[in-house]
Amino acid sequence: MKKMLTLLLSAGLVATATQAMSSPKEDLAHFRTYFEQRFPGIQLNEFGNGPYALDASKRLQWESMEEFPPYEEYVDKGREIWETPFKNGKSFASCFGKDASKVRPKYPHWDKASSKVVTLEGDINKCLKANGEKPFGWKKGKIAHLGAFLGYEARGQKTNVVVPNDPKALQAYEDGKHFFYAKRGQLNMACADCHVYYAGQRIRGNVLSAALGHTTHFPVYRAKWAKKGKGDGLGTLHRRYGGCNKQVRARPFKAQGKEYRNLEFFHTYMSNGLEINAPGYRE
Amino acid sequence: MKKLIAAFGLALFITGCNATTPDKPASKQAQYEAALKNAQAAVDKAASVGGEWRDIRWKKSKKKYLPSAIEAAKAGDYDKALKLLDIVQFQAEAGYKQAMAQKNAGPRF
Repeated sequence: MKKMLTLLLSAGLVATATQAMSSPKEDLAHFRTYFEQRFPGIQLNEFGNGPYALDASKRLQWESMEEFPPYEEYVDKGREIWETPFKNGKSFASCFGKDASKVRPKYPHWDKASSKVVTLEGDINKCLKANGEKPFGWKKGKIAHLGAFLGYEARGQKTNVVVPNDPKALQAYEDGKHFFYAKRGQLNMACADCHVYYAGQRIRGNVLSAALGHTTHFPVYRAKWAKKGKGDGLGTLHRRYGGCNKQVRARPFKAQGKEYRNLEFFHTYMSNGLEINAPGYRE
Repeated sequence: MKKLIAAFGLALFITGCNATTPDKPASKQAQYEAALKNAQAAVDKAASVGGEWRDIRWKKSKKKYLPSAIEAAKAGDYDKALKLLDIVQFQAEAGYKQAMAQKNAGPRF
């Protein structure tokens, strides 16, 4: 009996340790398998369409919105921002390269020199500052317009975040993973509660999207964000993170702060292999 | 009868003195100051582990319990301030405990 107990306890400990130390690759495989089993019949790439991959009537509404997409004018505005030279004569191309379609798939990435996760928005503002321009706000407006343009240009290319075998990069990934699974706020809810365990179910009139494919359509045009006083509808991923945290009554972290950058690193890695379809439309 | 009136008068005098004594508001203020110090320490502790809840002091919260408590105290309403600080104390401690309990959070599949 004692031997049996020892064996069971050891097995349990090993299983726990294995789970705690699972590599990003293993995490990705488990994550994908979970959703594939949960939603059999849905093609991998379809997850990038969020709730519209899971609910037929919502999909019909979304398809009708996509006939005249409300984000189109902001893609054009983004193109204008991309093409307009800075006061010093240079442009965003001087920072990102001439081919706009190659920019978005590079983000987020680990930067060894600064030992931090670099995001597209972070590099947009870095470029502006380096050229003597005023940086954009982090969550909406011009930064989202430019992101929408770069996302649009990159449509069809696959998400391919690399987590290098560097302890600091792995720690950033683990921190992002922990953030995603940790319950927070007065409602005691984790990102994973809604978007993993309850994905596909309804929360009031909304269908909870699956976390798989979440990041492919950002920046996003949300009808909710187009209401008076909230902006033009377009917003960045970190704006959405803040909104989610606020909804569970946790104090949101700063957009482009370490917490959300690491979360983006993990969250985007979980969508590796899915096509970029930004900007997307959501209710 | 005279003795009774004298005793009654003395009782009234004592009660009157007690009512006008400045001790009561001062003690409320002291209570508030102590509660504020404790609450702020609890909030900082929760924030240090990323466990602060939305309505304690976040600028966009409609409730903002901590700033509201400070406002109420400034207006002399120490009872209201103490009630709000009770909420702050509870939420800050709960946020810290939650963050500690979630230290090893990970996938459940």
